[in-house]
Amino acid sequence: MTCDEFGRVLPELEGGHHKEQQEHLKSCSSCSDLVSDLNAIAQQARLLTDDHEPSPRVWNSIEIALRQEGLIHQPRPQLVPSVARSPRWRFAWVVPITAALVFGAVLLFMHQHLNNQVAQQPSVSPQVIEAAAQSSQASAVLTDEDQLLNVIAARAPTLRAGYESDLRAVNAYIRDAELSARNDPNDQIAQQYLLNAYEQRAMVYEMALERALP
Amino acid sequence: MCRSKRLSALVVALVLVTAVLAAAETRKELRFKVHRRASVSVANQFGPISVKPSAGKVVLVTAILHSDKAEIDESHSRNRVSVTTHLLPGADASTGQVDYEVLVPADASVTLHSATGPLRAERLHGDVILEGNTANVDVRDLSNGHVHIKTLNGPVTLTNITDGHVEITSVSGEVALNSVSGPLVHVNSNSGRIVYDGDFGGGGEYSLMTHTGDIEATAPAYASIDVVASSTQGKVVNDFPLQPAHTSFAAKAGTAFAGTMGKAASSVKLLSFSGKIHLKKRGNNQ
Amino acid sequence: MTGARKTQSDKLSETEAIERAKQGDAEAFETLYHLHKRRVYSLCLRMTSNTAAAEDLTQEAFLQLFRKIGTFRGESAFSTWLHRMAVNVVLMQLRKKGLAVVPLEETIQTEEDSPRKEPGAEDSKLAGSVDRLQLERAIADLPPGYRAVFLLHDVEGYEHNEIAHLVGCSIGNSKSQLHKARMKLRELLKTSRAEKATKP
Repeated sequence: MTCDEFGRVLPELEGGHHKEQQEHLKSCSSCSDLVSDLNAIAQQARLLTDDHEPSPRVWNSIEIALRQEGLIHQPRPQLVPSVARSPRWRFAWVVPITAALVFGAVLLFMHQHLNNQVAQQPSVSPQVIEAAAQSSQASAVLTDEDQLLNVIAARAPTLRAGYESDLRAVNAYIRDAELSARNDPNDQIAQQYLLNAYEQRAMVYEMALERALP
Repeated sequence: MCRSKRLSALVVALVLVTAVLAAAETRKELRFKVHRRASVSVANQFGPISVKPSAGKVVLVTAILHSDKAEIDESHSRNRVSVTTHLLPGADASTGQVDYEVLVPADASVTLHSATGPLRAERLHGDVILEGNTANVDVRDLSNGHVHIKTLNGPVTLTNITDGHVEITSVSGEVALNSVSGPLVHVNSNSGRIVYDGDFGGGGEYSLMTHTGDIEATAPAYASIDVVASSTQGKVVNDFPLQPAHTSFAAKAGTAFAGTMGKAASSVKLLSFSGKIHLKKRGNNQ
Repeated sequence: MTGARKTQSDKLSETEAIERAKQGDAEAFETLYHLHKRRVYSLCLRMTSNTAAAEDLTQEAFLQLFRKIGTFRGESAFSTWLHRMAVNVVLMQLRKKGLAVVPLEETIQTEEDSPRKEPGAEDSKLAGSVDRLQLERAIADLPPGYRAVFLLHDVEGYEHNEIAHLVGCSIGNSKSQLHKARMKLRELLKTSRAEKATKP
């Protein structure tokens, strides 16, 4: 067997050699070295470790997308941007969230207080009670977007209006696209509008979380 | 006489102020040696970033810091270079501004982030990712690489981009594509206008979609396209004599049309929810 | 996630995390991501040699997985399922970019791709001196088609029949591309070693 012939069958060999090929390897140091080298490369390749790590941005983007698509059913525990691992402002997000919780607690207290007053003084107008109840319900629930805008307002007030306008635009897109898709579930163009709208929303969130903050 | 004295005093004051301002600026130069297909990223909250090809396998960064309220953090590991503007407390859009000029090997992958920009990249073959809030994005003479652009309100202009994927997402920035062709060109805009002037060549997939923005696409008479255009609540105008296509898409005068031109090599979708769409034929004398 | 929550997440086993993820538990999704992110990202990075593209593909692979997690019944190992999904995402991206993952015509040999007529002639042996770091660099320099088959077979452990199915080629083509990839790597490693030897 010549080196050429051996070279032609080499791709088909997976560690096993016929007698003729083994004989050639014994007599030809070049081919023998080649086979050793290729085996060494394959062996070293198996030992390559998975030690590369993606940046935190990847998980942030995944989480945003999961929430947008409704795959996460829990409310976001806290709005912490990916770069918030920096110690400089790790706990600073607490301020607006705490303010919102305190505000909600105050409204709840007022609602209960009003109820007590109604129980003691039946002459208080039911409309007042209803208005207070609605106000407390509406105000006590902060959406993800409100939280996002609150964080931006706390850190970069000049950017808040811009993000608010962008969110308004993409939410309008989502509403229109959802309506189209609902009217005709088989309309592929409507489906594409919906995907595009969500992609824009995810982009606004991502940019707000990553770069709205100095 | 009195007036000329006042004028001289003003000139002197201006010169002094300029000198003081110039003295407050700091110039920093960084140099990184890299291998083929390096990865270079620059993140800069305020200020322009411009990227051009360098002569060898080296990344050269020239940064002009407008005040001492900004610092530059750099990192270089293996084939990856990262330069980030680090803003100190009290920095604003003016004092935190840093101007970057970056030279990279033409095959490098480049990622640029800036809120205000502008962002510029030219004559590269690697993948290019540009993200900006209000940044003006200008990309020209790229080939064979992916181009990804995300912007909230900044205008985007692409010129002479070929043989790669182009994906642009914008909320309200206008997107202008001049001589852009390749296997994939996707523009996803909300209220920003999309203007395309090219030949829809390369047998690619072209998708220009908006929510409320208008779409204006200009192509030559010899364009080879399979086109679908539709505006749910807006108007649609077509200058081309199209051959009917075998499709379930329902054409509707004034709001939707579909058909083919030439060998229908490229797929073109012009879709807007409520914007106006115009597919224009480029004049023979152009 | 804060440090405290992360510790709590680590304590979730994979099986628990899968079940809780099916219910929409945010912490469970994050646990699964952190358990497998390195393997998926390393695969994507080696396949594309581009960190930005690798991050995009990692994101896409996990999103596809999480969207379908409700259908996972445990017929195969979760990591196998995720890995297969990541490979498909990467290969689809390579195809979209217009890169033939494996050239259809295996008999066409270019000057730079073909093995030498005299295998191993006049070259000193490489075996025993294959540095892992140099190998990573050399893999990044392989043409995309060779790189894909090499990574799938030698690094990720897929068999040729699986590779043929994944990339849409014949088993013979897969074997041929693997051989060419290894030959090319051998050449790159020798060049790299020679360059290192000549440096002062």
